[in-house]
Amino acid sequence: MDEHKAEGHPAAAAHHGSIWPFIIGIGGCVGYAGLVMDLRILGLGIVLFVSGTLGWLRDDLRSPSRMDFGTHVARPSEVRVSARKLAVWMFLATEIMFFSAIIGVSWSLRVRTGNWATPGQGPLNVPLTGLNTFILICSSLTMVEALAAIERGNQKQLKVFITATFLLGVTFLSIQGFEYVKLFFEEGLRFTAAPDGINPLFGSTFYIQTGVHGSHVFGGVLAMGYATLKSFRGGFTKENHEAVELIGLYWHFVDVVWIFLFTIVYLI
Amino acid sequence: MSTTTVASLGAATIEKKRPYVAVFAILAIVTLLELNVGIFRLASNVQVGTLVIMATAKAALVVAYYMHMRYEPRWLALIPLAGIALVAVLVVALVGIGGPTVTPHP
Repeated sequence: MDEHKAEGHPAAAAHHGSIWPFIIGIGGCVGYAGLVMDLRILGLGIVLFVSGTLGWLRDDLRSPSRMDFGTHVARPSEVRVSARKLAVWMFLATEIMFFSAIIGVSWSLRVRTGNWATPGQGPLNVPLTGLNTFILICSSLTMVEALAAIERGNQKQLKVFITATFLLGVTFLSIQGFEYVKLFFEEGLRFTAAPDGINPLFGSTFYIQTGVHGSHVFGGVLAMGYATLKSFRGGFTKENHEAVELIGLYWHFVDVVWIFLFTIVYLI
Repeated sequence: MSTTTVASLGAATIEKKRPYVAVFAILAIVTLLELNVGIFRLASNVQVGTLVIMATAKAALVVAYYMHMRYEPRWLALIPLAGIALVAVLVVALVGIGGPTVTPHP
């Protein structure tokens, strides 16, 4: 922190001193304790977590992104990765393990039990989901173009592309919601029941895999909504825009997960 | 300039034209092929293998170009690869060593 003050970056030092991440951490701790103790404690944890997140975002919205925080000291080119980006990649490594566990267990159940829904013969609407896959791929393109735009300092293109990404994410979720309603109420694909002699486990694994992915997309859409709001307030500049890149990393990762899920759940 | 920021480095790197639209076109075409793989009338195992290879190729393109792994220091790839290494252990545990076949619920 001192080196930043010495280099004339008091805003970075002030940003680093925010109380809100601590509140978020306490909220998470209390929330998880509440899961095993008492729902009221869980509620308190959620309130603390949400308050901390909103407080942190409010602080961030009032000041430019400090994308260069922690990276001002010149380093050899082979190690030049910001601390924030490194942290996001480590988070994504844990997400790889998380999704792999869910997909792996589902696949294991499939090969050991049989009677799984296959393309064209089950209740799944493959063309509709193919369209949704295309929408997610489009959103990856608009996301990376948003980053390229602000790297050139083009505010107008940033707003266009990041808004498009947000809307494409909302569209993906809307189509998935429509698919869920059709499958659950019309096709009879439930958590413990499935139509036409299909293994009931198929319903459980289908909703878990696609639902967990959908919740990640929802989180990405929330982050994208915030980034969109901030971009319209001029919060990102050619020099300060690492948040766009980090949100983009997460968004592309969600796309990568869907690429595999689409193949495994819908096409094989 | 005595100090160097990631921002300026990023801006310098982006000067080179990156093939974002070309990657998108490949992703879209491969997705179309995936949806219509049935027309090639491949054997079941070959079709599954083809679909997995196509999905892996698409994921690799997204990671390399959209997530900029191609432009990052090589050691950064070790972080996701560590996760994938643990996934390999999981795959062996769940599928590779086999296990009892369970009768489906009625």
